[in-house]
Amino acid sequence: MNFNNREPVYIQVIRHFKEQMASGNLEPGQEIQSRRELASKLKINPNTVQRAYKEMEDQGLIYTERNSPSRITKDKQILQEVREELILQAVDSFITSVRSIQVPLDDVLELIKQKYQNGK
Amino acid sequence: MIEVKNIRKKYGGKTVLEDISFTAEKGDITCLIGLNGAGKTTILNAIMGLTPIQSGQILINGEVLHKASYEKISYIPDTISMSPQMKISQGLQFMDDFYSSWNHKRASELLDFFSLSENERISRLSKGNIAKLNILLGLSLDVEFIIMDEPFSGIDLFSREQIAEVFTSNLIEDRGVIITTHEINEIEHLIDKAILLYDGTVLKEFCTEETREKEGKSVVDVMREVYQK
Amino acid sequence: MSKYIKLVHFEFNRFSNIFFILIGITIVSQIISVFTSANNYLGNVNQMVYREGMTKEQFIEQYDYMSLHQLTDSVWFVGPIALCIVTLLIYLFFIWYRDWFGKNSFIYRLLMLPTSRVNLYMAKVTTIMLLVFGLVGLQLLLLPIENMILGIIVPSEYTMDLPVYETFTYRYEFLVKLFPKTFMQFSVYYSVGLMGVLVLFTVILFERCFRWKGIAIGIIYCILSALVFTSPLIVQSTFLDNFFYPIELLGLIVITGLIVTTASIMVSLYLLKNKITV
Repeated sequence: MNFNNREPVYIQVIRHFKEQMASGNLEPGQEIQSRRELASKLKINPNTVQRAYKEMEDQGLIYTERNSPSRITKDKQILQEVREELILQAVDSFITSVRSIQVPLDDVLELIKQKYQNGK
Repeated sequence: MIEVKNIRKKYGGKTVLEDISFTAEKGDITCLIGLNGAGKTTILNAIMGLTPIQSGQILINGEVLHKASYEKISYIPDTISMSPQMKISQGLQFMDDFYSSWNHKRASELLDFFSLSENERISRLSKGNIAKLNILLGLSLDVEFIIMDEPFSGIDLFSREQIAEVFTSNLIEDRGVIITTHEINEIEHLIDKAILLYDGTVLKEFCTEETREKEGKSVVDVMREVYQK
Repeated sequence: MSKYIKLVHFEFNRFSNIFFILIGITIVSQIISVFTSANNYLGNVNQMVYREGMTKEQFIEQYDYMSLHQLTDSVWFVGPIALCIVTLLIYLFFIWYRDWFGKNSFIYRLLMLPTSRVNLYMAKVTTIMLLVFGLVGLQLLLLPIENMILGIIVPSEYTMDLPVYETFTYRYEFLVKLFPKTFMQFSVYYSVGLMGVLVLFTVILFERCFRWKGIAIGIIYCILSALVFTSPLIVQSTFLDNFFYPIELLGLIVITGLIVTTASIMVSLYLLKNKITV
C-alpha cells in the first residue's frame, strides 16, 4: 500500500478496510488480522493500526469479542452505509474533476453508460 | 519516557547544542530530523552518556542515567559497536556475558533474518552488514527504549527495506524508539513524532498524524515551511 | 565484581596472541643464546687453554667464569627482553587508544556496559599488571633453566652459579630493578612502576576527554605528579639540607607516592565517568 503523506495514515487504513468491505473481499463477520500482523504486512507503525482499529470499532465497522480477534461487523445497515459512502465519494470526486471541463450532464451520463457496459 | 531538558553542549569553543528540549514517549517512534551537523548524533550520544553536556538534564523514566539504565536503553550508533577482531559469535557471547537483558533467541532470529553468518569476522563485513549487525545487537536486548542513529545511511536499497521492516514488526512494539535521519521520505509514514533541528536548536516538535489531520501537511511539507525561514 | 573479572578476561584475551608470541620469542631466543654463548666460551677455552697453553687460572682471570651474567653479552639474550619492554610500553597507550582508532569504535560498547566505569579502568590496570608479572615471571623461570643448561655444557671448573638477581648487575642496572633481591625492593620498585602507569593513564584520559587541551593538561599533571612525588628529596637537598634520616625520607616518599597514586586514580575515574567523549 502506498501512502499519501498529507493525510493521516490511520484514515487511509480505514478507507482501505471500507473498500475491502464494499467490494466483498472482507465478508461480514470475517476475522481480521491482529494489529501486529497488519502493521507488519502494510509496513506501518503498529500505533497507526491501533488507532485505525479503535476508530473502526467506534464507528461500528468492526467488533471485538473478549479474547477473540476482531471481526468485520455483520450489521447490514452499517455495511450498506459504507457502500453508499464510498460510492458517494467516488461520485463527488468524479463530478469535481468533470465539472471543471463543463460538459453537459446528458453527454456525461451517456459516456458513463458506455464505459460501464464496455468494462463489464 | 525520555526527557531531554534544556541541554547545552560546547565542543572546542563552538556551541553544538543550544537549549535542546523534547520528550520521547514509550510506544512512540520519535524522529530527530536535521541536516548533517545539526547535532542529531550529539544529542543521542549525550542521552547515552557517551559525551558530556555543559548544562541541562536528561531523564529516563524520571531518573538520571546510571549504569543500570543501559539494561533499559539500547543504542544503535552509526558506527560499529563491537570489537572488529571478533567473530559475530564472539560478539554475541560478549553481549550475553554483560547484559542480563540479552535475548539470545531473538539474536538468533535476527541473524537468520539478516542472513548473517556467525563465523564471519566483524572486520570483514560490508557496510550494509555492519549496519545490520548493529541493529541485531541493539534489538536483541529486552529494553524499553531503542535509539538509532541514521539506520539507513549509506545502505543499499534492499538492506534498507529489511531494516525498515524492523520498525513495523513486533520488535519495536511497546518500546520507545528515537531515530535520526536526514532521509525522511522513506519512513515518514512510520513515525509518530517529528522533531526538526537546525544548527543545534529545536525549530519544531509535532505529532505527524495530528498535523496531517489538522493541517493536511506531510512532514516534508512542514520541513519545507520551517527550514525555509 | 564478576563484571570486573569478565572485563579483565576480555582485556587479557585481546592481547593474548601478542603475549604468547613474546613468550615464544623470549624462550626460543634465549635458549638459543645460551647454547651459542656456551659454545663460544668453550671454543675460546679450547683456543686459549689447549692450543695456546694458557692455564685455567689465567683464562678465568682474563675471560671470567661462565655464568648467567655472561649471557647478557648476547643480543639474543637481551633482545627479547627489550622487545617485551618496548611492546608493553607501547601497549600502555594502545590498551586505551585501540578502542577509538581506525575502524574501531568499541569504546561505545565499553562505555555503555551496565557496569561501573571503575571496572573498565581497573580491568585495564589489572591487565597491564598481569602482563608485566607474566613476563617477569617467565624470565625468572627461564634463568635457573638456562643456568642448568650452562652447567651441562661447560665444565664446572669454568662456571660460577650466580644468584638469579645478579644476572643483570653492572651492565643493565635497570633490569636489576625488575628482578630485585628483597621483598622490600620489589615493593618499592613495582609500586613506583604502578604509580607511573597510573599517572600515564591519567594523561591519556585527559587527552581522550579534551584532545589537544587535554595533552597540555596531561603534561602539567605529569610534571606536578613528579614534583609532588619527589618533593621530600627536593626538600632534603635544598631547603632543609639533609634534615631527615633515611628511614624518614622513605616514609615521606611512601606518603607522596600514595598521594600521587590516589590522585591519579581519582582523577582518572572522574574523567572516565563525567568527561569522556567518543
